[in-house]
Formats: sequence, structure tokens, C-alpha cells
Amino acid sequence: MKVVTGVIGNDIHVVANRLMDLSLNARGYEVFNLGVNTYLEEFFDAAVETGADILLISSLNGEAEGWGREVKLLKAKYKNLDNLVMMIGGNLTVGSGNAEDIVQRFKSYGFDLVCHQIDLNTGLDMLEDHMRQSSPALETTGA
Amino acid sequence: MSTENETDGSVLNGVGQLNGHSSEKPTDQSSSNSKLLVDIGSTYFKVSTAHSIEQHFRDFNKRILDDLMHKCGDTVQRFDAQDIHICSSANGGLSTLIIGLTHSYSLKYATNIAYNSGINVIDSILFQDIEEYSIPSDLIDVVIIVGGIDSNGGMFDDRLHAYLSKLNYSNVVYVGNAPDAATLSKSINQLVVLPNIIDDRLHIVEKHLKDYLTNLYQEDIEGKEDIKHLYEITGNQIYSTPFVVNKSLPHIHASFSVTDPFILLDIGGATTDVHYSKDLVSDNIVTEQEHDRIVFKKLGVFKSRQSLIFTAENNEYAYELLMHLKVTENIYKEHSEKATKILMQLAIFLVLCKMSHYRPAYVTLKLLSMNSIVFTGGITKVLTTADIEDVVAFFYRKIMNSDHKPVTVLDTQYDIWTIGAKEQATCQ
Ligand code: B12
Repeated sequence: MKVVTGVIGNDIHVVANRLMDLSLNARGYEVFNLGVNTYLEEFFDAAVETGADILLISSLNGEAEGWGREVKLLKAKYKNLDNLVMMIGGNLTVGSGNAEDIVQRFKSYGFDLVCHQIDLNTGLDMLEDHMRQSSPALETTGA
Repeated sequence: MSTENETDGSVLNGVGQLNGHSSEKPTDQSSSNSKLLVDIGSTYFKVSTAHSIEQHFRDFNKRILDDLMHKCGDTVQRFDAQDIHICSSANGGLSTLIIGLTHSYSLKYATNIAYNSGINVIDSILFQDIEEYSIPSDLIDVVIIVGGIDSNGGMFDDRLHAYLSKLNYSNVVYVGNAPDAATLSKSINQLVVLPNIIDDRLHIVEKHLKDYLTNLYQEDIEGKEDIKHLYEITGNQIYSTPFVVNKSLPHIHASFSVTDPFILLDIGGATTDVHYSKDLVSDNIVTEQEHDRIVFKKLGVFKSRQSLIFTAENNEYAYELLMHLKVTENIYKEHSEKATKILMQLAIFLVLCKMSHYRPAYVTLKLLSMNSIVFTGGITKVLTTADIEDVVAFFYRKIMNSDHKPVTVLDTQYDIWTIGAKEQATCQ
């Protein structure tokens, strides 16, 4: 299964992104890592060019809220991304915030899976569950 | 020479001082002592030996070769065909229309390669919306179709064929994903298929498309009646001028005190070429090349004069710039030295606008990080450093809200072009 990942906006926190790349590969996904400083349009464009199934965005520095509000508007301009599974994780707000509120808000922005300050492996387990539920044929791991 | 000034002056009013410009140059590279370098532009041509450089307005009533021989025959005859190197931008360049899947990858990569190969991009079309685009009426020299990595396929459908069937083009090349190559080459006549310009890590692969486009450009130059005759005096390949200029940029520091990053503006009669350090863009294109090129097809001070004026009239700051330069819009109707000067100043301003966030083109440059602006071409004979700095300062104040002042460098002796031409000559 193909995953496009990267860190959104003017965000240079690269450590989680490197770990993400390694973990996704280890779980058998085909990974397209756009790295840090990636704009929303580049994420969607990369999904189109690669035919990705999953878009996995990290945001660490507190910019997520601003980008989140853009997601639906921009995604609506694409005619072939309806089946793209959208996931976001990292520090999704400035400061700590109430996780439940944050999750609800980002879901309303168009994300299927939201992981505010959740560690990577827990998040990737959630992704696998989600993928299994949405296409039961995929009983095995990632790929 | 003075009679020529008069004849040419009637065609190109107000810039008589450009005619027959000649100046002594110190011999710098012995390898080029015995070489004659010729650059044919849409408006004038330059002839350079190791000792002198001459510039003449073209006489459009004559074939280029006849005009050249009439004005510089003595010089040309002193050289062997093997020692004459010619480049030309007079054929106007090839035009391309690009059909791709996304702005950030396929269209952007293909546009970058096209510009760097000296080709003008007429339009770029996002395939998913192809039905909404109007069909350009002009003949397109080459259509580029691109999109998808090789493990992705089935991206193009009948909408592509429908569009192509209405388009008037001479060549069509496919540089997209591998699975679609097979189907499209069956359904599109004369389709040239080259390796994908997007690799499996979404990085750009330039070589094949660049070689193809450069060759096409070459064939075009050779096929153009007027240019063809120039092969009577040279035994070497005739190259496109932007290609030659691009070759010189890595060597620019040897001749000028230019601080990186910089841009080089060649405001010509028909088009304006901008070559820029890659440090001025933050984007996802990673190549070894240090400089990229973009061309504004309709910004020039002679052949493209009308469209330059049109662009100025649609720019809300242009009027203020005219006031600043102490003239009114009536200057557009004048054909005088003064008018040419003002148009060149306007062209500088409009190009900078197009490269900034204010009027984003295909790239936006980080103009506040730019340390030098190099000017080459006819402009260096018309404007002084002070004239240029005045406009540049106006641009930074009005558009960038800044007192930033990149250093202005004038290539009055056309060193940029001679370095590139010599480079090319030594490579042959
Ligand atoms: C190192 C660091 C930096 C370095 C970054 C170096 C680099 N190139 O990576 C430097 C010093 C440059 C830096 C700069 C800044 N930083 Co900083 N930085 C940190 C720090 C200390 C550690 C980050 C890190 O690498 N952690 C290790 C990795 C492995 O963990 P992680 O990033 O938290 O990611 C984990 C999870 O979030 C998860 N995860 C991440 N993405 C995703 C995605 C999904 C889908 C899932 C499931 C999980 C997941 O996986 C990881 C492992 O479990 C954190 C504080 C902290 N202790 O977390 C602050 C922190 C991230 N930085 C912060 C800030 C504010 C900044 C600056 C704005 C500071 C400033 N005023 O200049 C700048 C921003 C620069 C920019 N343009 O982005 C804040 C963000 C606050 C917020 N969001 O509310 C933090 C949290 C510090 C704080 N408590 O205030 N920073």
C-alpha cells in the first residue's frame, strides 16, 4: 500500500519524520516521504502522482490548526482523491489542549484519523485497524 | 556606418545610438583569439572577435546573412568557417504546451526542463480539468504529456485524445508513467516516448527530455530559412542564445564582481529572459544545475512593445512609476530615445513584479535574498546604472516594502555571452 508522508507548513522538526519513514517501511508500506517544509498542495499532488492510498501528515510546531482549515477546500479541487485515507499526528495545537476536542475538530476538517500527541506506533496500529475495517480483504499487515 | 544608422533608425526609432556600437576589448583567452562569435537577436546582432565587439541593428529588408555580410563582411571574411561560432534567438524559440497531472510535480518539472532547454511555455494544462481549457489557436511546436510515477498508471483517458484532436501541433512527446506509455503510443500518432521525468521517489529526471527538446530546437534553427543561410559561413552548430548564456553563468565570477545569489536579466526586443540562482527559490526540484531560466515571451521593447505596454497598463503601480520617472502615459505613443529608455525601465519593473509574490509566475523568487542583478543585452547601451537602480529601488519600496538594494552589474561588453560562446566553442 502506498503512503505519502511529510511535515506540513514551515515546520522543520525532522526527527519524527525520519522515524515515521522507517516504521512505515518496516510495516511493509511503500513510502513517499516529502520531508519537512511541505505544503498542503504538494501532499495532495504527491498523492495524485503516486496513486497513494494514504496521506499521513505530521505537524509538530503548532501550525496544524491553520492548515487544517484549508484541507476541505483544497481537496475539493481534486477530482480523484475521494478514496484517499487522511491521517494527521504530532502536536496539533499550540500548547496541550483537550485531546478529544482536537480530534473532533480535525475530523471536521476532513481527516479520517487524528493522533494528537500520540506515539507513532500506537498511531500506526490505529491506521492498520482502520485500513482493515475499510477494506476487509486486507487481513495482513500494511502492504 | 552613419548611413546604416539612418536606414535602421527608420525601422527602430529612437535607439540609433545602438547602431554600429564597437569597442575594444582586451585579449583575455588566447584560445579564442582566432574565433569569431556571432549572436543574432530578434532586433540586432553582435559580432565579437578577441579584440573588438560590434553591434548592429538588423535590417529587416535583408536576409540575416546578407545583412551581416553587408555590415561586418570584412571581419567575417578574416575567419575560417571552423572558427566562426553563431548563436541565435532570432527564430523566436520553440513553443510548448504541457499537459500534466499536478502543479507541484509533473507540470512543474516539465516546465523547468522546457525553460532550461530554451523553449517557451505557451500553456500548462492540468489534465483533470482539460475540458475547461481553451485551445490555443497558434501552432504549438511540441506538446509534452507527463504524469505519474512508473508504478502508477491509467491516468490519461479519452479527454486527452479529444483535446489533442483540436490542437494544432508539430510534435508530441510523452514523459510520464510507464504503464500509460504503451497505450498512448498506440492511440496518439507519432508519439515520441521517453523515460519518465519523475522517478520513484518523486524526484526530477531531466536528461532525456532536455536532450530531446534541445535537439528539436536545433532542428528548428536549422530549418528556419533565414538562419539556414548562416551555415554558409560557419562549420559549427548554431546554438540558441539562452543555452549559451546558461553555459556562462557558472563562470560569471571570473569577469564580474557578482555576489550570489543573483539574477541575470536579458531584456530583448521580443522576449525577456531571466536566469536565476537556484538559491532564490525554495522548491522541491533538486538538480545539479545551479541556475534555472524562465522566459517572459511577451515582454520586450521592440517586437513585443505593444504587449509590454498592455502589461504595464494592467499593473496598478506602473502609473506611479511613470510619475516617478516624470513622464505620463503619452510616452507609450512616442517613438523616441526617451520612450525606449522608459520602456526598458518599465520592463525591469514588470519582470521583477512577475518574479515576486505580487504577480506570481511559475516561480516566485526570494527577492529579498538576492544580492546582485546582472543586466545584459541592448539595455546596457541605453540605461545607466543610475537609471536601473532608480527602478529597482522603486520596485523594492513599493512591492517588497523594503530598502533592500541588490548590486547592479552591467554587462556592457557582452562578456556573459562571449564566455558562454567560448565555452561552447571549446567543447566542440
Ligand atoms: C528538537 C526540537 C526543535 C529543534 C528541531 C530540530 C529539527 N530539525 O528537528 C529546533 C530547535 C530547530 C526547534 C525549533 C522550533 N521549535 Co521545537 N522542539 C524540539 C523538541 C525539543 C523535540 C522534538 C523532537 O525531535 N522530538 C522527538 C520526536 C521523535 O518526537 P515528536 O516530534 O514529538 O514526535 C512524536 C509524536 O508526536 C509522533 N508523531 C509525530 N508526527 C506524527 C504523525 C502521526 C500520524 C502520528 C501517528 C504520530 C506522530 O511520533 C513521534 C514519536 O512518537 C520539542 C519538544 C519536545 N520535547 O517534544 C520542541 C517543540 C516541538 N518545538 C516547539 C516550537 C514552538 C518550536 C519553535 C517555533 C520555537 C521558536 N520559537 O523558534 C521552532 C519552530 C521551527 C520551525 N520552523 O518548525 C514546540 C511546539 C509547540 C506546540 N506545537 O504547541 C515544542 C513542543 C516545544 C514546546 N513544548 O514548546 N525545535
